[in-house]
Formats: sequence, C-alpha cells, structure tokens
Amino acid sequence: MDLYKIARKLDGLQTVSTIAKSLNVKARTAINYAWLLRKNGYLASIQNRRVRLYRISPIRKKVTGYSLYELLNENSRVKIIVKEDYFIHSKKKPSIEEILVRCIMTGEFRIVLASLDLFNKVKNWPRLKFFADKYKSGRKIGALYDVARKIIRVRRMDKRTREGLLRNGKEKYIIKPFRSKHFKDVEKEWNVYIPFNVQDLGVYKE
Amino acid sequence: MINFDIQLEYFKLIGKELKNKVECFVIGGSAMMFYNAKAETKDVDLVFMDKESINAVKNILEKLGFEEKKNLIKIFKKYEEAQNKPIMMMGKDTRFDLFLREIITFQMTENIIDRVRESHEFENLIIKVVSPEDVILMKSATEREKDRADALSLINKFNIKWNIIIEESINQTKIGKHLFPVFLFDFLYELKEDLKADIPKDVIDKIRKISENMLEEYLRKKKH
Repeated sequence: MDLYKIARKLDGLQTVSTIAKSLNVKARTAINYAWLLRKNGYLASIQNRRVRLYRISPIRKKVTGYSLYELLNENSRVKIIVKEDYFIHSKKKPSIEEILVRCIMTGEFRIVLASLDLFNKVKNWPRLKFFADKYKSGRKIGALYDVARKIIRVRRMDKRTREGLLRNGKEKYIIKPFRSKHFKDVEKEWNVYIPFNVQDLGVYKE
Repeated sequence: MINFDIQLEYFKLIGKELKNKVECFVIGGSAMMFYNAKAETKDVDLVFMDKESINAVKNILEKLGFEEKKNLIKIFKKYEEAQNKPIMMMGKDTRFDLFLREIITFQMTENIIDRVRESHEFENLIIKVVSPEDVILMKSATEREKDRADALSLINKFNIKWNIIIEESINQTKIGKHLFPVFLFDFLYELKEDLKADIPKDVIDKIRKISENMLEEYLRKKKH
C-alpha cells in the first residue's frame, strides 16, 4: 500500500465518508486509512462538533513556527478553516492573550467569533492589556469581552485592565461595516461597533 | 547554497533588525523549501510591493555583510529588455534577489497574491509563500536547466491545478508584452517529452492551441 499515492488521491479536505467513497472502501476501513495517513504525517484533523474534517496533503511538511489558527482551534469551541494559514516564528509559543488579540485584529468575522471563547482562558489580564496596547486595540478587546460575558462563562477582568483598555485605541469598527442591533449598551460604553447580533452567537449555545 | 533552516535563520535576523513591518513574497526555490519540495537553494528570491520595504531589507542585508552585485546574471528570457531588474545581494554562502512588483517580465498580480496559502511572521518580516502553480509558471519563463528539475519535483509532489497556470499565463500576456503561453507550452512539452513529467495530454493540447492563436495574432499585428 503506497500511502503517498493515497494522500495524493485524497489531497484536500475530506471526511470519513468522502475517503470511503474515493477509495471505494467501508467507513471502518476509511478510518483506518485516516489513522495510517496521520501516523505518516499526511493528515491533520480539524475537530468539529458535527463532522470530523481531515486535511490531507501529499506533502509532509516540516513543522516550523506556530500556526495561529491551529492554536485558535485548540482553544476555542468554534472551529475555523482558513484559506491562508499564518505561522508565527518565535522562541516561545504565543500565549492565549496574544492569540486572542491577534485573532481579533484579523477583522475576519468567523475568526473574531471563534476568538470570543478565548476570554475564558485568559489568566494574565496585564498581558492582555500589553498586547492590546501593542496592536492599539484596547477598546475593541474590552467591548468584545463584554459581549463574550453576556453569552459564555468568562473570568472577571480586573478593574485596572478594564480602565486601561478603555483608554486605548481609536478605531470604531472591529469589522467594517458591521454594527450590532442588540449590543447597543456595549457599543456605547466602549465607543466601538460590535459586529455580532445575538443570533450570530448562537454557536456558543448549541 | 542554503538549506531551509539557514533560510529561516536569515529571515529571523532580518525580521529582528527591521524597524517597521515589511511584507514580501517568496518565490522560486525558497518557496519550494517551504513546501518541502527542495532541500537547498542557491538564492533567496523575494518580491516586494513597495520601494520602502525593498530598501529597508536591502539596508539590513548590507548590515549583515551582504554586498550588492551590479553585473546581473542572465536567468530569464528577454532579460535584456526587462526594465525592472532585481537587486542582487551577495553573501558568503548565498544570494538574496530582491524584486520590486515584477520578476523580470512576470508581474505580481492580484490573482497570485490571492492564491497565497501561507504566511510566515518573523517579528517584523512577513513572508508570504506563492502557490506551487505560480512557482511552475515563473520557472517556465527562465532558461536554466535546474528550473526544469524543480518544476518536475513540484509536479510530482502536488496535484497541480493546470487551469490556474494556463489562465495566469494568459493574464500575464494581457498585462505585459510577452507571450507567456508560448513559453509555457515549450516548457511543459519539454518536461513531458524529456523528463517524462505527469502532465495530462489535454493540458498540452490546450496550451498549444492558445499559444498558436496568440502567435498568429501577434504576427498579424506585426504585419500591420
């Protein structure tokens, strides 16, 4: 069995059923193939609540840097698949606070939505403020924290960080030109437009 | 020659020294190393979209001991006619070729930028890796033998989307003045016949037809 040939045939995003269909095998055998491909470095899985997705590539890449979106997927319940991956080459693995700020700064709807779950994992609030200052996004981070607090369980932010965030950043839009119908109070307090309505956040209640 | 790890070290060094964020695209052998399709390369090819960025990186390379080389090596077809020649920075064991928006006769289009699938951040240096399809197309416009071997390696490793290559070659002809489909046909035909590359016959036929039509039209225009 030539795994390289199989990986070439299955190049792209797959599920167990599509693997079974392409290779003309049963689902159980498809799972076994997926296991073998993963073991040999041809497959990476993307966890999803409904369907498990596999990204298969015939190229066994050298692992270099930390993939921002892989780190986000590891820490958030909302999983994302991006067109363009972003690798950070640094000595240390980026902290939750850094991932959170960087993801919000992408300005991509699904990425910002997924990053809300990271507020629950923030342990070091001064570090969050440090990165918010670095990316000049204090008010955006603070406003999204308040939105996250309304729908998911989130640790309490200390007063000093909150006041610091309120003083930082001038930009009004998190994602241009989205404004919220439902979070007017948060928008007013932080002077930032929230890109979500209540229905958008339904993914966290499923 | 430098390998992937040394290339990363250079990028880290440059990124550390840069004062502002600089974005560029990596092409050729350096891009292939990101795809694990090549072990080492002679030169690192970077394409910048603005003059400020290219000058910033050039200055840092000078600080790192690289020297600008004035007598350029002829790599691309129509090299003499090219107006936008690269800045070649020679080091002890490698060379950095810095291009501004164009790679000799080949232009960085929105489509190429859109096809980028991965970016790498080295502090202030952000490197975007162009797609394998674009690497093959750029290699088709060169005259070096090893570029054929590189293209063959990419074809063997990836499921190449041939339509992308053909469309981009037509697009490049529209915005430039060279007949890229003709270069591409020559290149692919040679790869298939001499190096036994796995290129579908209908792809060769399609590109042959396109290049014949383009040549006819070109000759007709020239007569008038």
